[in-house]
Amino acid sequence: MYAGVERTIFMGMKFTFPGRFVSPLGFLGMLTFVVFIILGITGALLMLWYEPILDRAWTSVENINDTIPYGFHIRNIHYHASNGMVMLALLHMYYQYFSGRYKIRNEILWVTGIILGVLTILEAFTGYDIIFSERAELAISIAASLTNSIPIMGPQMRDAFFGAGFHDFILRFYTFHVFMLPIALLGLMVVHFPRFLVFDVPMVMAVSGAMILTGGVFPVGLGLPFEPEVPPGITVPEWYLTGLYAFLRTMYDKFVTGVAWPGLFIGALLLIPFVDRYKKFSWKDRPIITAVGITSLAQIIVTTYWGFYIDPDRAKPLLERLVIDPIFFYLVMILLVPLSFGFTYMMIKLAKHAEANAKAQPKKAGKQSIEISQRWLYALFIVLIGFQVYLNISAYYAMLDGMKNYSLFVVGIMMLVFAGMFHLYRYGKTQAKAPPPKPTPPAPQAAPAAPRLAPAMPEQEKPLAAPSGQATAKPVEKPAVLPPQKTTSPPAGTKSAAAGPQENPDVKKP
Amino acid sequence: MAQTPPAAGGKVSRRDFLKLMAAAGTVVTFTPFVDWGKFLPNPAGAQSEKQPAILPDGNQATTRDFPVNHSEVIIYPRSDDPVQNREPFRTWQFIRLPEELGGQKNDASAFRVYSMICLHLWCLWKYFPQDGRKRGECPCHGSMYDPLTGKAFAGPASLQGPPSNVLPKLDVEVDGQGKVWILPPVWSPDRNGVVGYGRFLNI
Repeated sequence: MYAGVERTIFMGMKFTFPGRFVSPLGFLGMLTFVVFIILGITGALLMLWYEPILDRAWTSVENINDTIPYGFHIRNIHYHASNGMVMLALLHMYYQYFSGRYKIRNEILWVTGIILGVLTILEAFTGYDIIFSERAELAISIAASLTNSIPIMGPQMRDAFFGAGFHDFILRFYTFHVFMLPIALLGLMVVHFPRFLVFDVPMVMAVSGAMILTGGVFPVGLGLPFEPEVPPGITVPEWYLTGLYAFLRTMYDKFVTGVAWPGLFIGALLLIPFVDRYKKFSWKDRPIITAVGITSLAQIIVTTYWGFYIDPDRAKPLLERLVIDPIFFYLVMILLVPLSFGFTYMMIKLAKHAEANAKAQPKKAGKQSIEISQRWLYALFIVLIGFQVYLNISAYYAMLDGMKNYSLFVVGIMMLVFAGMFHLYRYGKTQAKAPPPKPTPPAPQAAPAAPRLAPAMPEQEKPLAAPSGQATAKPVEKPAVLPPQKTTSPPAGTKSAAAGPQENPDVKKP
Repeated sequence: MAQTPPAAGGKVSRRDFLKLMAAAGTVVTFTPFVDWGKFLPNPAGAQSEKQPAILPDGNQATTRDFPVNHSEVIIYPRSDDPVQNREPFRTWQFIRLPEELGGQKNDASAFRVYSMICLHLWCLWKYFPQDGRKRGECPCHGSMYDPLTGKAFAGPASLQGPPSNVLPKLDVEVDGQGKVWILPPVWSPDRNGVVGYGRFLNI
């Protein structure tokens, strides 16, 4: 099998399947990609039933949701995965931002990443519009009129991208959604993928499970079908666009608020690696950049919430409920800048203080990991399998009784349990490989501070000297060789390092 | 990877046991998704109440008006969606049998409703009432159907093994005013048959 991919592009990438728990922050990009694949599969299935025709779009989605067996499940997974993908992409971006990963000749990855993020939001936006509910109609109208407002080329662009009228909109958004944008995303991903990839099965399953579970708890509705004769109610876009919506609601010129501001934000993000001249990576050592990042986060959070908030008093006229006072709004935006800078200053102070403290005191034997004996591991495993069987049965009966959301919820739980089982499995595997516990645990390590000095260059991971025991063991399966993980857990590290020499005599016996 | 030969008594090694449990866990986790395959086939066509047999002119067929030895195309199940009503798999030949087969009677036995999808290669056949024919004929490859039972007696469809040599049918009912109703079908080869596939002739 290894020989089979020898000539393919996969040999250029290094996949790591961690042998123990690693922080998901380091591979948020891979998680985003996995969610993208889930979206591709569920989306392809939805294409079997969805009809991108003006007067059939909403009813076809209703049909998927209500009549087609498991249509409810697939649609909900698709919807929640779309939110998950946007969220994971955002987290991924901010993690890379604060850890300075866009340095060391990773500028291309950063720039393509920002474009990927914008396309992801466009993909999600076209997705929730093609149901053509009341909200979708308003969203399409806003998108079209914003495009129209672009100086000089605007009207032509609107004609080119949106066509004329809603019949064209639906068909074109569908084409964008299922073909053009995904193709563009895939093409950019080829450029965006780094050579070192971490694929952590339990975390992937846990994220999928969390999305499915959310679909069961908060199933997405259909909205009201758009009726031209019925005046629409107040609707709010999806959460990743409410920030933009808040700006639009300040009643300023729509080009400035709806196109220029977000364009400026995206442009600033694109330029970040070329502006950031700090020689260090950690957020603690790049105060200005960190403060700018915190400011943007604070503003995103505030505007996102503000976009959602609509005065619930129905007695007031619409204008009064919807329009945000621009002076108040922009004042808050400006006020957030010094607040964020102050907050960053405080955080850096605290972090440096804590670091100095930790250095001054001799370290206690690292993190105490939970040790489970072989017997208890098996018992736990069998209990989990039994639980899975129980969940299987309850999912089956939930489906029989038409409790679709409950069955979706149960399937989400099953994914989470699987994540736990997989973690137990790999834990058991490393346990089986590890030698019996050392007879004399050395007194508090003499030099635990040594690894901390390494400035955590993520790309410079050297595989530890191969625990030469089994020649067949693939390098990718080796535990405890992870790039993003600073060696903060000496016990695990020393154990696996010690495993090498001790293992040899055992294996060579036969 | 048999590094350690299993000890006496057929014991499984710790490693293998762990792998076995991991495999079992994976199977158990992904079992519910097997049922998700139901997403693919179209569940349409399930009717729970009897429906009027609506002729192309929009009226319900009656024993008084519908001529003997005559056929019309009816749509079943009829949908509110005009696009669905143009679906060939929903077209049925509504036949009143010729007199020699009992077509002059004013009850349900005078009527036959067969799927228009030929069992051979899914062309649409129809009933020819002329003397000497009085049978269903398919325009594509000449399969011929007996109007009394729906069984193919000549042409390629007749050479197919059961159930693919007998047309699916709908059961009808005639009420006190002579109106013809279609009873809810059961789409299985043993009962009303499967459109495009066939039906077992239970005599």
